[in-house]
Amino acid sequence: MAAARNPLSRLYRSARILRVAAAVYGSYKLPELLHRALRRPDRRDRAARAAQHQRNAERIFDMAITLQGLLIKMCQVIGTRSDVFPPEYVQVLSQCHDRLPPRPFEQIRAQVERELGGPLTDFFAEFSPQPIAAASLAQVHRATRRDGRPVAVKVQYPDIEDIVRGDVADVTRVCRLYQWVDRNPLDLLPLLTELTTHLALELDFRREADNADRVRELFKDEGYVVVPRIERDLSTRRVLTMEFLEGTKVTDVAGLRAAGLNPAEVMQTLTRIYVRMILAYGFFQADPHPGNLLVRPSGHIILLDFGLAKALPPGFGLGIFELMFSMMTLNEAAMLKAFEVLGFATKTGDAKWLVEVARRMVEVSGKRFEGEFTEDMTEALFAAIRENPIISVPSDFVLVGRAFGLLTGIGHTLGARANVLEAMAPGS
Amino acid sequence: MDRLTYGEEELLSSVAYDEPLIANGVRCHGGFVGGIYRSPRSVGRGPAISAWQAQLGARGVPLIAIPPELVPPHYPSAAQAVLLLREGVREPLVRTLTTIAIIEGFGAMIRDQRVPDLSSCVREPLDGTATAHLTAGLFEAHARDEAGHRSEGGHKQMWEVARDLALGHPPVPPDVLMRLMTGRRGAARRRLFPALAEPLEELLTVMVNVMVIEVFAADTFRWAEVVLGDPEVSAAPGPAAAMVGYIRSDETPHVEYLRTALSELRACTLIGTGGEAVTGTEVIDALLLRTLRALTTDRPRLQREETRADIATAVASRPDAAGLQRRFDALEEEWVPPDVEARLAGAIH
Repeated sequence: MAAARNPLSRLYRSARILRVAAAVYGSYKLPELLHRALRRPDRRDRAARAAQHQRNAERIFDMAITLQGLLIKMCQVIGTRSDVFPPEYVQVLSQCHDRLPPRPFEQIRAQVERELGGPLTDFFAEFSPQPIAAASLAQVHRATRRDGRPVAVKVQYPDIEDIVRGDVADVTRVCRLYQWVDRNPLDLLPLLTELTTHLALELDFRREADNADRVRELFKDEGYVVVPRIERDLSTRRVLTMEFLEGTKVTDVAGLRAAGLNPAEVMQTLTRIYVRMILAYGFFQADPHPGNLLVRPSGHIILLDFGLAKALPPGFGLGIFELMFSMMTLNEAAMLKAFEVLGFATKTGDAKWLVEVARRMVEVSGKRFEGEFTEDMTEALFAAIRENPIISVPSDFVLVGRAFGLLTGIGHTLGARANVLEAMAPGS
Repeated sequence: MDRLTYGEEELLSSVAYDEPLIANGVRCHGGFVGGIYRSPRSVGRGPAISAWQAQLGARGVPLIAIPPELVPPHYPSAAQAVLLLREGVREPLVRTLTTIAIIEGFGAMIRDQRVPDLSSCVREPLDGTATAHLTAGLFEAHARDEAGHRSEGGHKQMWEVARDLALGHPPVPPDVLMRLMTGRRGAARRRLFPALAEPLEELLTVMVNVMVIEVFAADTFRWAEVVLGDPEVSAAPGPAAAMVGYIRSDETPHVEYLRTALSELRACTLIGTGGEAVTGTEVIDALLLRTLRALTTDRPRLQREETRADIATAVASRPDAAGLQRRFDALEEEWVPPDVEARLAGAIH
């Protein structure tokens, strides 16, 4: 249930957020306080804690699905932060897909007309009332321009900015209260700041339009990447109109084969695209989930949704390459250097914990790292970091790690590997 | 006769060094015995390659040899590079050295080269040959030499050390990876011998390509030793040039095992997927000709053009740009792509 500009709805949302937060916090702290009061050791074992994490993760999940807004995005962020949150939270909340019931067409029509400054019929010969996709911030409709060109129109929900603003305020209050009350709190406020910064960017569709154009420009000489053309005259801060492109969803193996495509070759192309964006160009579409990737019968990959596109700092790509290379050669010293280049740091300035992380990565990667960021590897990395919370992980690395992790997942579906080193080898 | 069969551990074993090679704080492979540099993984590998080559000699089988006049000269020349460095135009050369280092590192991918069951596609027995040891230590040794292994850096790191020693830890241009990845991509290789099993042709193609690249690298080493060893422009001419020399001596077994194995296979009869026989000579010579054509003509020409453009861009930002460009051009050494067929005729035999 999303809230319109309705104080009662806002109150309901705030109360629900606070209630769930209190329940989650209380489930951890009350037993702890009780044991302390009774001067009894807390003998809850690992399985009991895991079960508790699971219950709390599900509570948060249910709340997010009901309330939507910022909370969906918050869950998605938690679902990527294995370095901070227990695996049960990551596993449950990463399921928080951005697929929601659509809003009534009248709301959408009103938004488009308000943004474009006239009735729909002034701009579109046809506008499908049924969306082709609906997510937490916007939904997408198929339409036809008056000159006959098919387009996709992404329309931001009219009240979403208010909802997000209110949710940010509520969640910030909860985090501040938690940090004040708890003796040894997790440092959640930086994560929240990161989330709200990204969200503000995602809510400005002009930025998404610029991101799409930038990626198209990067690949302009490489025919295997297709980015929808933005119809700038029909795009504003809250409405994004773009060329309508059709293709097979990247994980539709049967569909790919029916189109005469080899899934392994599709995976190779997709990996090459992301390796180029991340390591070479330093600017990438940071959300390669299957819904954002289509494949044409030619094998060309269509990239969609540039709301989450990230510019990486200079030298970051080389740092990622050096990290992978050092994992391939099992060289801890080189790995440590790569971590430093990437911005990993320990809060105490003592690098020995980074060495420990490097060692764990070497142990898991193998008997040899072969160029693919597997789940085991990233889990080993984040498990080591969770055990040593003095290590701060740069958010760019988290985003890149997530992107490669998603690619690996797509690779599993396609029966192929997302081998980063192979994709960047000279002559590939 | 010398022993012809070696275990993997033997081929990967190194001498006991008096002193490891540590330069610029980086532990590299190899080390010193009696003050002399000894390459890594040379205890078994060196004698093994000698024994396999002697075996070929005893059978009257020639060793493949690439005529040195086919090797395209490095561009810019050593004199041009020294001029640029003297004038403070460092970025193109830092980019070149970093790119060389990265490409060396990718040489480790040879360990992943799939090798088919050769007993089913080569008529003659291969026991006691270099070919039989490709996946029994030779490819792995090669990979470790290029990329390093565990705490020991390989040629990738050694080139970086040479660069940093000579040029004082220069900032690496952020576009290095972009240029590497968006430069000319290898064109889809057309199969020359569709009758052969694809993995066999792929293996032979890779081995030929790597061998030629390794042979051609000799000129790069010569160039780098001159440039990085020039006291006018290098902050550590002795150590930097020495590092390049160590890499150069490490590369010798790569060329030798590859040309030995290819010579062995050249003297064999290869069996196609339909049972047809194809002489190794026909296959290896054709693959070699194709590779040499590509690497002695179009590729170096394109590389020169790109590098010239790069240098011109870097020079253009200098206050004395026109004069510097003229002096650079005055040092230009003419290069005419060789007639590969003519030079190769009889050269292999």
